[in-house]
Amino acid sequence: MDMLELLNFYIIPGLVLGSIYALGAIGITLIYAILRYSHLAHGDLATLGAFIALALVQAGAPLLVALPATMALTALIAIGIDKGFYAHLRDRPKIITVMSSLGIALMIRAVVQVVWGVDAETYSRGIVRPEVYWGLRIKDRELWTLAFLIAAVVVLQLFLARSKWGKAMRAMSDNPNLALLSGIDNRKVIMLTWIIAGGLCAASGVFLGLNTELKSMMGWGMLLPMFAAAVLGGVGRVEGAVLGGLIVGLAEELSVLVLPGEYKAAMAFAILLFMLLVRPTGLLRGKVL
Amino acid sequence: MKTKALALVGGLMAATALAAAPAKADVKIGLLGGVSGPIAAMAPAMIDAAQLAFAQVNEQGGILAGEKLVGVVGDSACSPQGGTDAATKAVNIEGVVAVVGPHCSGAVLAAAGSVTVPAGIAMVTPSGTSPEISGLDDKDTVFRTVPSDDYQGRALARTLKEQGYAKVAVAYLNNDYGTGLANAFKAEFEAQGGEVAGFAAHEADKASYRSNLADLSSGGADTLVIFDYGDGTGLTILRQALENGFFEKFVGGDGMKSDALFKELGSDNLTTFVASSPVGEKSDALDVFNEAFKAAGGDPDAIFVNTSYDAAFLLALAVEKAGGDKAGVAAALREVSNGEGEAILPGEWAKAKALIAEGKAIDYKGAAGDHNFDANGDVPGTYALFKIEGDAFTVVSEMK
Repeated sequence: MDMLELLNFYIIPGLVLGSIYALGAIGITLIYAILRYSHLAHGDLATLGAFIALALVQAGAPLLVALPATMALTALIAIGIDKGFYAHLRDRPKIITVMSSLGIALMIRAVVQVVWGVDAETYSRGIVRPEVYWGLRIKDRELWTLAFLIAAVVVLQLFLARSKWGKAMRAMSDNPNLALLSGIDNRKVIMLTWIIAGGLCAASGVFLGLNTELKSMMGWGMLLPMFAAAVLGGVGRVEGAVLGGLIVGLAEELSVLVLPGEYKAAMAFAILLFMLLVRPTGLLRGKVL
Repeated sequence: MKTKALALVGGLMAATALAAAPAKADVKIGLLGGVSGPIAAMAPAMIDAAQLAFAQVNEQGGILAGEKLVGVVGDSACSPQGGTDAATKAVNIEGVVAVVGPHCSGAVLAAAGSVTVPAGIAMVTPSGTSPEISGLDDKDTVFRTVPSDDYQGRALARTLKEQGYAKVAVAYLNNDYGTGLANAFKAEFEAQGGEVAGFAAHEADKASYRSNLADLSSGGADTLVIFDYGDGTGLTILRQALENGFFEKFVGGDGMKSDALFKELGSDNLTTFVASSPVGEKSDALDVFNEAFKAAGGDPDAIFVNTSYDAAFLLALAVEKAGGDKAGVAAALREVSNGEGEAILPGEWAKAKALIAEGKAIDYKGAAGDHNFDANGDVPGTYALFKIEGDAFTVVSEMK
């Protein structure tokens, strides 16, 4: 196998897949850092985002307009879910919220199945053959996926490092009691967390739908790789989630070279187990933002 | 005085018995199908076809002593867990006398092994095609109105070889359906002198299969044979293979014969795609069913509708024959369709009911075939190779 083949059929798909995982993993890691629980409805929230974008696209909006609109709508829905279901569990043991998020996942999936049905859908009919740049076979949508991830991470990092509210989020993640004592409004910080997590989660769903098809189970299948990515990078670290996502995506695609194809789905699981055994804090020593 | 009291009590009892008769419970048959999951697009038509059989029974005097026959729909989700859950609910809570379904082989194996065989409930699957089902230790309670994939895999291999496909790669879904079909295909294709240059299973619902496809194409095959579902992962694989130009020609099993292919990929891109699928042999019974299903608003060309209808109608006949006794349904199923006795066509419920009442033998001639079950509860089948033309599947050739 030559270098180009390795790049075209293993590395590039791995990076695109990894970007999609990373967008979801950022949300998972942010929610864990600030609210301290694992959000199991993240995959199905991504499905909902993908289908909201489908509705907008079918109503005539170009995807470039539909994407930000979807992110905003899904962020609103995420806030609504938090206010409606998670808020009053906040003082109870966290495991109760984790379990309730599993219930939310089933509810969101049921809504998607009732509204849009269970058939596979696409944003546009037909197939798109990749462009060839210096022997590399890349589709526009794959470039968009990578570019969006990079832009999202840069903006998010700047926001967390420089802005007042970004600093407040980091303070909450570092020590919630101290943050409350110094006058940080925790309700606003929580809302902000859901806006960012919900928006990025919707984007990961839209990009998954754009690169493959939209199915009602699409997000659920992404949940394990997204968690593996967050744990691999170090829970609570945004750049860790990105790194973790890319590594998990690449590992899944490259695993086919050495393992039979049916074990591809087990890669994320293997990475998750291995990291928890060897280095539970993750590659970047996660814990706080 | 005593006699009067006795007469009064007797009268009261008689009145209670009379009053109770019309309120006798409906007879329920479970309709387990993959309502959600990878074959969700096929399931509604299959369930409608089975319901048509029950509607005909109810129109023509009902079952047993004029009771209503009701189909209890359950979602087997095309997975072993879903199949077990749905079968448990149907058997233990709804109290069904027999089960039509589940639709997917994995669900059939799980539901039979853990629920219906221990309970002694007869099960007829209209679409569970895995060769594994033949070998199930089922105390003769599991039947199917669809032929085993062992036949389909071998017929497809022979047809492809005849039509000049020499070197193929096989991608199959890692479940009972995909594995069974792929193994039967590979054995026969190699026996016929063809070369299988790539043979790999894959898991469902991954976002990218390009590395799998690159691996498969590295053997130098120009044809990809996909044993998967056209509403599920099969669609993703076909799309990525087309987009990246991995193979020139594509072949699918019956699971790939889904409208989703041309709806999502466009028929212009699918000129080199063919799929095999069981077809009803041309018969009066098939025409009768097609007319009735069309009149009920269904599409008689949809996949597995005739087998679904036959499964439901056969079970209704068996329940009638067994007098409503759950334990006797499986044995009665063989009696109503063993090639001996007065022929019964689809929809001829009143005639069948009268003959059963007289104690005469009947033989159901189904829309999808005669259904004379062999020792494993299997039926032989006929297949055709389909291609996509415009926005529909059309027959290329019969498969032998």
